Amino acid sequence: MPQTTATHRKLILLALLFAAIVAGFSLYAPRFAQANIATSILQFSTLLALVSLGQGLVVLSGGAGIDLSVGGTVSLSAVLAMMAVRAGAPPALLPVLAIGCGLLLGLVNGVVVTRFGILPLIATLSTYFIYAGTAMALTNGAPIPGVPAWLLPFGRGTVGGIPVHFLTVVVPMFLLAAGLLAFTAWGRWVYALGFNERSARLVGIPVDRMRLLAYALAGALAGAAALVSLAWLGSARPNIGVNLELESLAAVLLGGIAITGGVGGVLGVLLAVVMIVTLKSGLQFVNVATIWQVGVVGLLLILSLLLDLLPARTRLR
Amino acid sequence: MPSAFRIVGQRELALLLLCLAAGVVFVALSPAYLSAGNVAAVLRNCVELMLVGLGITLLLAMGGIDVTVGLVLGLAAIAIGRLLLAGFDPWVAAAAGPLVGLAIGLITGAVVVFGRIPAIVATIGLLGVYRTAVFVALGGQWLSGLPPTLSAIFAGQIFGIVPVSYLVIGAIYAVAWAALRKTPFGLHLLAIGNNEERARLAGIAVKQVRLGVYAVSGALCGIAAIFYISTYRNVEMTVGSTLALDAIAAVVLGGTNILGGRASLLGTVFGVLLIRMLQNGFTLIGLPSLWQPVVTGALLIGALLIERGLGRDVLRRVTLRAA
Repeated sequence: MPQTTATHRKLILLALLFAAIVAGFSLYAPRFAQANIATSILQFSTLLALVSLGQGLVVLSGGAGIDLSVGGTVSLSAVLAMMAVRAGAPPALLPVLAIGCGLLLGLVNGVVVTRFGILPLIATLSTYFIYAGTAMALTNGAPIPGVPAWLLPFGRGTVGGIPVHFLTVVVPMFLLAAGLLAFTAWGRWVYALGFNERSARLVGIPVDRMRLLAYALAGALAGAAALVSLAWLGSARPNIGVNLELESLAAVLLGGIAITGGVGGVLGVLLAVVMIVTLKSGLQFVNVATIWQVGVVGLLLILSLLLDLLPARTRLR
Repeated sequence: MPSAFRIVGQRELALLLLCLAAGVVFVALSPAYLSAGNVAAVLRNCVELMLVGLGITLLLAMGGIDVTVGLVLGLAAIAIGRLLLAGFDPWVAAAAGPLVGLAIGLITGAVVVFGRIPAIVATIGLLGVYRTAVFVALGGQWLSGLPPTLSAIFAGQIFGIVPVSYLVIGAIYAVAWAALRKTPFGLHLLAIGNNEERARLAGIAVKQVRLGVYAVSGALCGIAAIFYISTYRNVEMTVGSTLALDAIAAVVLGGTNILGGRASLLGTVFGVLLIRMLQNGFTLIGLPSLWQPVVTGALLIGALLIERGLGRDVLRRVTLRAA
């Protein structure tokens, strides 16, 4: 598996940081170290975990791959699926509608990036504003209620202290992705085209089709996140995806995936997601204003990239 | 008219025609569009974007990007406002704007350049940090009730007709044009945008130039903050939230290459004008303002798709002829 020593070092640092965060908050506020806080952290982790998995695949497959539209995709998928149901679509189709919307929005990103060759950061910056703006404008910023009652246990129930959606969606998805990346030709292709695009093209890997697939998957996963938000909150919130682009990038890079692609794995990303959510929950637990969370996650993102400087310098000396 | 094309450039001429076309369409839909008050409002709304857009033009031409510009304007505006409230001379308060902008630009530039982090990732991280900073600097409530002393200087007109803001903008664009076309700095900036590695091998001080451009862009946001405060006399929590999108869209419409290596200052001016004309026009014909970022985002990606489509066509024709 193409995991470099830099990745390993990052994962060890990540684990240490995680332990330090848990220890720090537990010492400061002993009530933090309770079992039900773990349930609540996992409950809050699902959205970010699904979005970060998609972001991870996009970044991993290289070509300056980045998806800034993930948050907008989550919001718009939730809003469109809910509007369709209220306009008369059968409520049983809500899961298909949410994931389908996400898939379509992701495909738009993928086509714009791979078929038209537009720089991913500009393409997805545009679609971020288009998706997030449409979600806000369609709803005037107000949530759309009316999620069918049969869906709510999926969003709110727990099994043995673990939220149902974390157990039935997040864990299988990450294991599946990790398995595919590690043991199949498809996975080796992803690493190959992130690691060296020219060679990947020369040996006949369908580079553009693979990247299109990565953006489409990122969209579908964002749609799945939208579905979880519907089942959890009981309504479609047009701002549910706010800051997910920042947080998912932070999770992906902290989790050991190289921003240039081709290096890293998804299980580190899951660990980073849980760590970020723990940090946010901890800050909330000790009554720090929520606006500090976005700044702290931003700093984490930058620090995780500054870490990359260290091995390069030691190698020079 | 080949000579006119050569002087203005086809892109800029096309944009000017688009602006005129948009004007004609909106006048037909809503006669109020051409009223003196509305024209003045559109020109007023262009002021900050002209300055911020100039910084983005330089950044994109160098192969960089900065999505924090709206928050830099916000932080500079808060600094100016706090000094005004504390009773400082308006000139001193105004000077704080570009200084704060310059300082933040240097921080952003240092993270990007010395951290060797892709500019988009670094500035998204800093976006979170600066957003927290804006909240903390505002203390959780709007900054309002500012004295009108600054407005008397910067929101006024000279000879009763030429806005002070446009004199400043004209002077700054003239300096930027000279720096870009007549000095080594401009040449180096474009060379870095073309190919950073080759620019470094050619002996250009790549790091200093890149850091300098981020600092200049920050200072321009700070100057824009002076006019922002003079006009609105308050700073709200969501200050500048779509300014980066507006600026990037205006600059890309104007023909500056997002991959670096080519800058068009005149294109940016017309791009800013077109975006603000469209936003104003859509509002006048009754489109809720929540749709504005959707329109701007579509404009940005539409411009790139057309450019790409045309580019591919031209390429195909040339290949056919060669074969």
